[in-house]
Amino acid sequence: MIKIVAEKVRDEAKNVRTIFFRWDQEVRAGQFIMVWLPGLGEIPMSLSYIGTPKAITVKAYGSVSQALVDMQPGQEFYIRGPYGNGFQIDPGRKLLIGGGSGMASLLPIADSETDAIISAKTKDELIFTDRFPENRIFIATDDGSAGFHGFPHELLDKLDVSVYRKIYVCGPEPMLYRVMQKLSDLNASAEFSLERTMKCGIGICDSCSVGGLQVCKQGPVFTIEQLRGNPEFGISRTTYSGKRVFLNMK
Amino acid sequence: MADLSTSVAGIRLENPLMLASGILDENGYTMLDVIANGAAAVVTKSIGLEERNGYSAPIIVEYGDSLINAVGLSNPGIDNFADEIRIAKKAGRPVIGSIFASDAESFTKLGMKMQEYGCDAVELNLSCPHVKGFGLEVGSDPDLVEEIVTELKSKIKVPVFAKLSPNVSDMIEIAKAAEKADAYVLINTVKAMKIDIRARSPILTNVYGGLSGPAIKPVGIRYVYEVKKETGKEIIGVGGITTYEDAIEYIMAGASAVQIGTALYTKGKSIFRDVASKMNTFMDDEGFSRIQDMVGVAIR
Repeated sequence: MIKIVAEKVRDEAKNVRTIFFRWDQEVRAGQFIMVWLPGLGEIPMSLSYIGTPKAITVKAYGSVSQALVDMQPGQEFYIRGPYGNGFQIDPGRKLLIGGGSGMASLLPIADSETDAIISAKTKDELIFTDRFPENRIFIATDDGSAGFHGFPHELLDKLDVSVYRKIYVCGPEPMLYRVMQKLSDLNASAEFSLERTMKCGIGICDSCSVGGLQVCKQGPVFTIEQLRGNPEFGISRTTYSGKRVFLNMK
Repeated sequence: MADLSTSVAGIRLENPLMLASGILDENGYTMLDVIANGAAAVVTKSIGLEERNGYSAPIIVEYGDSLINAVGLSNPGIDNFADEIRIAKKAGRPVIGSIFASDAESFTKLGMKMQEYGCDAVELNLSCPHVKGFGLEVGSDPDLVEEIVTELKSKIKVPVFAKLSPNVSDMIEIAKAAEKADAYVLINTVKAMKIDIRARSPILTNVYGGLSGPAIKPVGIRYVYEVKKETGKEIIGVGGITTYEDAIEYIMAGASAVQIGTALYTKGKSIFRDVASKMNTFMDDEGFSRIQDMVGVAIR
C-alpha cells in the first residue's frame, strides 16, 4: 500500500468532499485506485484530478466513504493502483454526461472544447458545476429543483449531439443504460465508465463482472459497442455475496 | 501435433488446463468467457448452503506475482446458483461445482444440488485456510474427511474430487482418508499474512489469508509428486501455474490435469490458449504424443 497525506479538502455538496494529495504517479483519466483506511476497510475511488495535485471526490455512503468525507488536511490514508483502462480521449469537441458522483471520473477529461451535462437527484447533490463556463454546461435534476426537470437521456433530445466527436458518460447503471440506448439510436461515438460491486480491483474475484468483462480490469471504461448487446449491462448484476439481482430496466 | 486431450475420473478434457476454484467463477457469463478463452473446464467458486457475504475489503494483497486472499467464502448460497451453472454449461464443456460445508450431511446436500444443476463433477473444498468451521478445519480431521467422502460418494453419480490443504502435518493421512474420492486436487492456498509497516497493521480484514501463485508452486509440485507416488490416484495439480513449463512440471510430478487461477491476475484470460499452444510445441520437440505419456514420468 502507498501512504498518502491529505493536503487540502474542498466541499462539493452536502456529504461530498474532494481530497487533494501528492502522488508521483502517471494516471489516465477514468482510472481508479483502491483506498484503504486501516481498521475501517477499502473502497474503489476514481480520481477527479490526475495532475499535481491529484484528488478523489468522495460521497458519504458507507463507513469508509464517511470517514473520507470527514477527513482533514494532514490526515493519512493508504492506496493501491492505479487500476483499470481509463478513457480513450479523442481530440475535438467532447460532451460529458455525469450522474451524481459519476462526474468525478469525467472531470479530468474536461478541456476548452468540452461541454457537460451534470445531473443529480436534486439541486443539492449537483457537483462541479463551477468547473465549467456557464455556456458549456447543461444541468438536469430528477426533481426539477435546478435546470432541466428529468433525466440525462431525456435532456439529450434537446441537444444536437452530432457536433461532438465523442461522448463520455459516468453515473448509476440505470442512467448509463438509458443514455446508451439513446446514443445508440443517434449513432454517436461514446464511452461509459461503469461502477459495480468491486472487491479485488485486479480482475480475479468476479464481483464486478458484466457479461464476462471485468469492470476493474477490462474496464471500468467500455465503448458503446462493447455494451450494446451485453447480456448483463442494464439487466442484472451480482451483489457482495455473488447473488444475481435484476435491475428491471427493460 | 501432439494430442493435448486428457481425462480425469472419466471426464474428457480437450486440454489439461482448467480454471481453479475462486477465480472468475462466481458469475456464469464470466465462466463462459473463460471457456471461450481456451479453458478445458471450469471449477465454480465454492458454494455453501446459505448466502454469505464473506469478509469486507481488503480481501486481497498483491505480493509480487503472487496473491494473499481472504475473501471469506462469499457465495450466493446453493439455491441461488443454478442459473450460473446453466449459463456456464452453454459452452458445452465440463463445469465442476465446488462446495464447502462443515459436515457430511451438508456436503451431501450440496453435492446432490450440483449434480441436479448439471455439474460434471463435484470438488470438495476441504482446504480453505481462512474461515472458521469450514475448509481446512474440516479437511484436517481425517475421520470427518472419510465420513464426508464416503457419504457423498454413496449419494451422487458424478465424480467427486477432494481438494486438500498443504496446511496439515501429514497430507498422506488426509489423502488416504479421502481415498474414495475419484481424484485429488492438490493444493489449496498456504495460510499466510501481510503487514503494512507504515500503517503498522495487517492489511487483510481477516488478518490471515491464503497465499497463491508462483510463491507456492514448489510446494504444490512436492505434494502432487508425493501423493501420486504413495497412492497412485488421479490428481489435478494446482498452485502457481503461470507458464507451460509449470503445467508440464505438475504433469511430470503426477497430475493428469492442472488448474490455473492466480495467473489470471498477471496474464489475463488469454493464459489458457497461450499455455496450451506452448505445451503442444514442447511435446512435439520432446517426442511426447499424448498427455498421458508425461503423467508422473519424473517419479523415482
